[in-house]
Amino acid sequence: MKKILGITTLLFVVCVLTSLASDSFLSAYNLENLVRRTALFGIISIGVAFVIVTGGIDLSIGSVVCLVGCGLPWLLTTQGWSVPAALLAVTALSLSIGLFHGLLITKLKLPPFVVTLCGLLLYRGIARGFTRDQTVGFGSDFKGLRTLATGEIPLPFLGGFSLPAPWIFLLVVAVLAAVFLNRTIYGRYLLALGRNEEAARYSGINTDRMVILAYVISSGLAGLGGILFVLDVNSAQPVDFGNFYELYAIAAAVLGGCSLRGGEGTIVGVIVGAALMQVLRNMITLVTTHNNIEFAIIGAVILAGVIADELVKRYAIRRRAARALAAEG
Amino acid sequence: MNSFLPRLLPHLLLGLALGFAGCKPSSEAPSAPSGSASGSSAKKKVAFVSNGVASFWTIAAAGVKAAGEKTGVTTETLMPVEGISDQKRIIEDLLTRGIDGIAVSPIDPVNQTDLLNRAAKRTALVTADSDAPDSNRAVYIGMDNYQAGRLCGDLVREAMPNGGTVMLFIGRLEQDNAKRRRQGVIDAILGRPSNPGNFDPPSGVIEGNGFKILGTLTDQFDRAKGKANAEDALAKYPDLGCMVGLFAYNPPLMLEALAQANKLGKVKVVAFDEDDATLEGIQKGSVHGTVVQNPYLYGYKSVEVLAELAKGNQAVVPASKFIDIPARQIRKANVDEFWADLKAKTGK
Repeated sequence: MKKILGITTLLFVVCVLTSLASDSFLSAYNLENLVRRTALFGIISIGVAFVIVTGGIDLSIGSVVCLVGCGLPWLLTTQGWSVPAALLAVTALSLSIGLFHGLLITKLKLPPFVVTLCGLLLYRGIARGFTRDQTVGFGSDFKGLRTLATGEIPLPFLGGFSLPAPWIFLLVVAVLAAVFLNRTIYGRYLLALGRNEEAARYSGINTDRMVILAYVISSGLAGLGGILFVLDVNSAQPVDFGNFYELYAIAAAVLGGCSLRGGEGTIVGVIVGAALMQVLRNMITLVTTHNNIEFAIIGAVILAGVIADELVKRYAIRRRAARALAAEG
Repeated sequence: MNSFLPRLLPHLLLGLALGFAGCKPSSEAPSAPSGSASGSSAKKKVAFVSNGVASFWTIAAAGVKAAGEKTGVTTETLMPVEGISDQKRIIEDLLTRGIDGIAVSPIDPVNQTDLLNRAAKRTALVTADSDAPDSNRAVYIGMDNYQAGRLCGDLVREAMPNGGTVMLFIGRLEQDNAKRRRQGVIDAILGRPSNPGNFDPPSGVIEGNGFKILGTLTDQFDRAKGKANAEDALAKYPDLGCMVGLFAYNPPLMLEALAQANKLGKVKVVAFDEDDATLEGIQKGSVHGTVVQNPYLYGYKSVEVLAELAKGNQAVVPASKFIDIPARQIRKANVDEFWADLKAKTGK
C-alpha cells in the first residue's frame, strides 16, 4: 500500500485543486465521464501490468485496440455476422495474439520489445487492410450491444450519479486480477519470475507458461478495451484508433507502482494511475483554455509528483537511519 | 547482442511491409480499353495526394477515378497516414516514379513550400482542398475555406437568433483550411465584415453581436479525445447554447456526447461535411445544418486539369489561379436530395 501512497495523494490533490477551480468538476455528469474513461483505460492498463510484472513490455496494445475496435463493427455491419459470433471472434483473436507473442518470447527467446513492436505495426496494418482505410462504426444500430459501454446504472442517494457500465467490467477485471496476483500461487510465480527468472525456474516454476499467460492476459484485456472503446465512441478510423494507447497504459501501470524491472505491481495502483491521467486531461479542459499544451501539463505534473514521492521516501530513510544511529548512541 | 540484429531484422522488415501495406493506392483506375494501345504516347499517370485518411477522401477518390476513366489517364489516390513526413515521402516517391501530374492537399502549406516548388519543377502540380498560395502550384482547386466558414457561421446565427454561447471543435489548427474555416465561422457569428486576414487566438473567449465563443478544442484526430472534448465542454458549461464541429468526424462525436448527456436537441449542433451521422441528425432535427464541400468534384476537376497540363495545355488555368468549387449549406429541407446524390456518386 505504501508504494501507491504517493500517486494516490497526487490524484487526491489534483482532484481537490480542480474542484476548487471549477464548479463543474464534481458534477454528476463530469464524474460519470471520468469514471467511464478511467474504466476504459484502466482495463488496458491492468493488462499491461501483468506483462510489466514479469519484466516484459507490450507495445502492441494500441494496435490490438485498433484491430479489435475496427474488427467488431466491420464484422457486424459489413460482414453481417451475428453479435455472439463477432464478439467470440474478436475475443479469440486478441487471446491468440497474446499466445503468439508469448510463444515467440519464451520458445524462440525473442525480446518482448521487438515482438510487440512488430505487433504494433502488424495489427494496425491488418486493420487498415481489411477495412480499406475506411471509418467503421455502428451508425444508429446495435444500441443494445452499445449499452455495454454507454449504459449507466442509477445509484440511489448519490445526487443523480449513475455508474457507467464499463466500470463494472473494470471492477470484475480488477478483482480477478488482484486475487490472481496476490492470493494464488500463480500470482506468486509471476512476481517471482519478474524478480529473477532464473531463480524462479530453478525452484521448479514453469516460467515459460507463466510468461505466456501474462501476454495472453495483456492482449486479451487490450481486446476487451478495444471492444468497449469502439462501443463508446461508435466509430473507428483504423489509422488513428487507439494510437499511443500502449503508452497511456504503460504510464498508468508504472505510475501505479509497477516496476519496469519486474517483480512489483499492485492492481489498485494501476487504476489510480489511469485515473490520474484522465483527471489531468479533464482538468486542463475544465480549468484552462490551453488545450494545446495538455501533454506538457500532464508530463510536468506527473514528473513533479514522482520527484516529490522520491524525495519524501529518501527523507524518511535518512530520518530512520538517523534515529537508529541516535538509539545506538 | 551480435546475434540480436540478424534475428530481429526479418521481423522488423515483415512488420514494416505489412504495416505500410495500407499505403498502396486505394483506388486505381482500371486499365483503358485496348483499342488505343497502338497509340504513340504512353498513358499519362497522375496522382491525388490527400492530407490524411478519411471518408471525405474516399469521395474524392471516386471523383479521381471517374475523371481518369473519362480523360484516359491512369490515376491513383494516396492518403498519408502519419502526417506531414508521410505526405513528403509520398510526393517524393511519386516524383521518383516520374509521375505526370500531382494534386495535393498540403498539410502545412507555409513550411511545405520548398517541397511543393521542387515538385512543381518536375511535374504538373495543383493544390486541391487546401491551398499553398506561396508555392509555384499551377492552380488551386477547391473552395474558399473562409467563405465556407462564414456559411457555417450563418447557420449558427440562424439556429440561435437570440445569440448565446458557442463552442468550436476541430481536429487540428495547423492546416490553412482549418484556420480559415474557423476564422470564417467566428467572423460570421460576430457579424464582422469579410476579412480572411483576421485571426483570433484559439485560447480565449471572443464576445460580440450577442454571442460568446467560449473556445476552440482540438483533438489531433484521436476520436476518444474528440468525444471527451465534447463531454468536457458540456460539463464545464451546463447551459452551452451551440456546438460547432468543423472536421467531418467532430459532429458525430458531439452527437454521441449529447445523447449520453440526454441533451440531444437541447444544445444546437452546427456541422461541417457530410458524415452519415451528421446527415441523419439533420433528418431527425438534432443537427441544425451542415456546410458541405464537394470532394467528388475536387478529385474530378484535379484530374481533368492535370490531364490537360500533362499534355502541355496551359489554357485550363484561369488568371486567378483559383478554380472555385463552392460550398453549400444543407438543412432539413434539402438533406434527402443531397444524401441520395452522394450515395449515387460513391456507389453506396
